[in-house]
Amino acid sequence: MEASFGDLKKGQKNCQRTVPCQYFAPQKIEEALEILSKYGKEIKIIAGGTDLLVQYYDRLYEVSAWLDLKNIEELKEIKIDQNQIEIGAMSTHTQLESSADIKRYYPILSQAASDIGSPQIRNRGTIGGNIVNASPAGDLLPALIAYRAQFKLVSHKEESIVSAEDFFLGPKKTILKFEQLLSKIIIPIPEQNTYSSWIKIGKRKALMVATVSLALVLSMAEDNKIIQEVKVCLGSVASTPFEIMEIREKMIGRQFKQLDFNELGQLVEDRISPIDDIRGTKGYRQEVTKNIMINALEKIQETWGQSQND
Amino acid sequence: MTKLKIELMVNRKKRKIEITPSTRLIDLLRDDLQLTGTKEGCGKGECGACTVIMNGELVASCLVLAPQADGAVITTIEGLGSSDHLDPIQEAFIESGAVQCGFCTPGMILAARRLLEENPHPDEEEIKRGISGNLCRCTGYQKIIEAIKLSIARLSKSDSGKAK
Amino acid sequence: MSEKYIGKDILKVDVQDKVTGKALYPDDIYFKDMLYLKIKRATYPHAYLRKLDLSKAEKLPGVVRIISAADIPQVKNFGLMIKDQPVLVGIGQKMRYMGDALAIVIAESKEVASKAVKLIEVEVEKLEVISDPLRAMDKNAPLIHQDGNILATHYLEKGDIKMGFAEADLIVEKEYRTSFLDHVPLQVEAGVGIYDKKSGVITLWVATQWLHDTQADIAQSLGLSKEKIRIIQPVIGGAFGKKEDISVHIHLALAAIETKRPVKLIYSREESMIAQSKRHPFIIRAKTGATKEGYLTAWQAFVIGDTGAYASSGPAVVHKGMYHCTGPYNVANVKGVAYTVYTNNTYAGAMRGFGTTQMAFAYESQMDILAHQLGINPAQFRLQNAYEIGSSTPNGQILTHSVGVKETIKEALNMAGWKGEAQ
Ligand SMILES: Cc1cc2nc3c(=O)[nH]c(=O)nc-3n(C[C@H](O)[C@H](O)[C@H](O)COP(=O)(O)OP(=O)(O)OC[C@H]3O[C@@H](n4cnc5c(N)ncnc54)[C@H](O)[C@@H]3O)c2cc1C
Ligand code: FES
Ligand code: FES
Repeated sequence: MEASFGDLKKGQKNCQRTVPCQYFAPQKIEEALEILSKYGKEIKIIAGGTDLLVQYYDRLYEVSAWLDLKNIEELKEIKIDQNQIEIGAMSTHTQLESSADIKRYYPILSQAASDIGSPQIRNRGTIGGNIVNASPAGDLLPALIAYRAQFKLVSHKEESIVSAEDFFLGPKKTILKFEQLLSKIIIPIPEQNTYSSWIKIGKRKALMVATVSLALVLSMAEDNKIIQEVKVCLGSVASTPFEIMEIREKMIGRQFKQLDFNELGQLVEDRISPIDDIRGTKGYRQEVTKNIMINALEKIQETWGQSQND
Repeated sequence: MTKLKIELMVNRKKRKIEITPSTRLIDLLRDDLQLTGTKEGCGKGECGACTVIMNGELVASCLVLAPQADGAVITTIEGLGSSDHLDPIQEAFIESGAVQCGFCTPGMILAARRLLEENPHPDEEEIKRGISGNLCRCTGYQKIIEAIKLSIARLSKSDSGKAK
Repeated sequence: MSEKYIGKDILKVDVQDKVTGKALYPDDIYFKDMLYLKIKRATYPHAYLRKLDLSKAEKLPGVVRIISAADIPQVKNFGLMIKDQPVLVGIGQKMRYMGDALAIVIAESKEVASKAVKLIEVEVEKLEVISDPLRAMDKNAPLIHQDGNILATHYLEKGDIKMGFAEADLIVEKEYRTSFLDHVPLQVEAGVGIYDKKSGVITLWVATQWLHDTQADIAQSLGLSKEKIRIIQPVIGGAFGKKEDISVHIHLALAAIETKRPVKLIYSREESMIAQSKRHPFIIRAKTGATKEGYLTAWQAFVIGDTGAYASSGPAVVHKGMYHCTGPYNVANVKGVAYTVYTNNTYAGAMRGFGTTQMAFAYESQMDILAHQLGINPAQFRLQNAYEIGSSTPNGQILTHSVGVKETIKEALNMAGWKGEAQ
């Protein structure tokens, strides 16, 4: 009887999209900037689309024009010299995860990238998208601040360079203007005796938005004994990723054996005022933040200890 | 209406097609190319049912705009094997009982395929990471992991066969 | 027969289609001239619908028809156990949770249907939203349904509870709460429908776990005889109890009759979360007595199951849960009461285990606490109380075969390599 309906797929047709819309995929940054200045707020910049297509789920018809960055080769390059690395905004998380230079000089940026979403998401999602999307839980952001990254912003009129900590204003809010593109991320090559640790806490191992995350980058003086510089940055506990400045005076100029990890953990806990949300309560976040600060210090101390024995 | 002509290789066939730019790749595949083996379980990148291989990479086709796939080479489940000529991974999924409702299966098989192309001898942790973007609500994953292990054995045998 | 199949690996009949992508799930069915539906849902969890303005949505090019309650006065409520669920909420009627349907938009494309739904304007008169079943049980709480917020009360009694507690050396009394759970079958609710003018038969390709009950329920709701409703079970993308309830079915049937064209309706994942059944959250108060030798003497259970806005399988789930209040353990004296309570939450229905998994959280916790306080190894405590052939359950059923709990516990201990509690 079922046969009376014949082929159950005979009616396939273009069944959803009727609304007109423009699409641009220029090959040069300059062209992209021209298009941006012309269309202004009316156009959506799309990189990997892993944030945008979720945001526009079931209402893609609201977008009247797309500016796709996929053909701009310049934005996909990762270049390194003695002083700094330049990461094109279109570099994907998979690229960050596997780049030998990033693994070597910025190991926790590579680790943070490998903790993002799933293979499918890492293959499409970009560093530029992660930054501009400005989620408090954006996994690359604490590491970028901790490594003192700078962002290059370009428009058809001018270029500027801003440091990562000045870029974020709030959830999904940044200083980026609509005629601007983020073209690359510039990070200085760390000092020789630099140690780092990244900890992401969430409900499962994959496809998980961080409940709390912490990036710690620490460099020792030439003697590899005295702490010369330290940055502790947190994600998912405030409206933007941010650095705990108070840690600096407690750590800089000291040696590991002079540090009280518990006190430092407590200091981090005291400095944050997280909120309750679906991923965790305020109390949970506070306690966990303290603990991961201690864990991060322990991990670094261990690696440092090994270097002492070598 | 602004339509866009795009051209892509899907399952080794060249396809030219006109679409509106706000078409998702999953809709292009399912509605326009009638490749309904690609499933939609969430539309938001969370479940992996819509997984396809695009330019050698695993992607969630619900999060790709069709014009972003212009010029791309795409493999969907229909491109893997047919009922008469099953791919070794498809066979292994059948034999291991790794298929229950089957809704995750196309994406899961493609994830396995991609994993084994990149790393022909993954250990259990690597297998789990390889399929970490694909949810299965029926099997509890154990049999899927067994199926992938069986595929490893099958594929390496057929490779060494070829080498001779 | 038995030699051919038992102990053998049998391939699923449709497994080849599933690994090659050929298997047809409802969303994979496309007919010529097919129309797409989208449902306008409640805008507030508990409110009277005062105004439904379709005019803007109807003007959108590509919208074929919008059906609201005013168009279908003959259509009756539906529901698995109690017919308490409206097909569409009408003016002056109540929406009782965010999943209640207010209108069916029928359009030439999914895109137009989605847009049109957003153009429908709704005015409501808000009522107190009851999200806590304890509030629902208050004497002065507003009524969600006419006959009261306590939908069903079930009692359980075995032996003499007073005597049981008198025999106990230790009594532990605790409250446990479990949460809502979605089944998350990987495929959401989906279906296709066709109406045949000549025969008056509506054919639906929709997943269901109760083919004939679903057919009967659709028929009574539409006022048609069962022969007019034909359900073709396509391949199902998972269910786990969630597809026992009616979802897209009646809306598809109405749209097919109205337009005389093939129609398709697919929920989004959010819609599936909001509109379709859940596992019941339970509040369980358990009072358990045991002797100092570690034998259970009495168990009292007080259970509240939040069934949300509609009954679904609620009364069955909640009282079945209560029947399992002692778990797989022998207790001579048992007393229980279970309330199935309406709230303005998403309705709860069947889900794997049907009430028993919620109870397990309570009884296994009780067992651990008792063992701990008695100073007995918790595994031993379980073993010496566990069911065996001849045991009787709280509702008096004598177990005559297939009682594997002791072997299971032993094997689990063995596999886990558990050597007792760390001190
Ligand atoms: C299932 C899933 C899981 C995820 N898991 C994680 C996770 O674990 N951790 C995490 O941090 N994120 C996660 N994400 C979020 C997302 O994948 C990342 O933020 C990703 O890096 C975004 O990059 P994209 O290229 O896809 O951005 P897009 O979606 O293309 O763009 C995001 C925003 O940035 C703008 N934009 C992009 N590039 C530029 C540019 N060069 N200049 C100016 N504006 C630009 C776009 O206009 C848009 O507003 C997840 C997303 C999904 C769907
Ligand atoms: S449908 Fe694309 S990931 Fe779920
Ligand atoms: S087999 Fe059903 S979701 Fe995997």
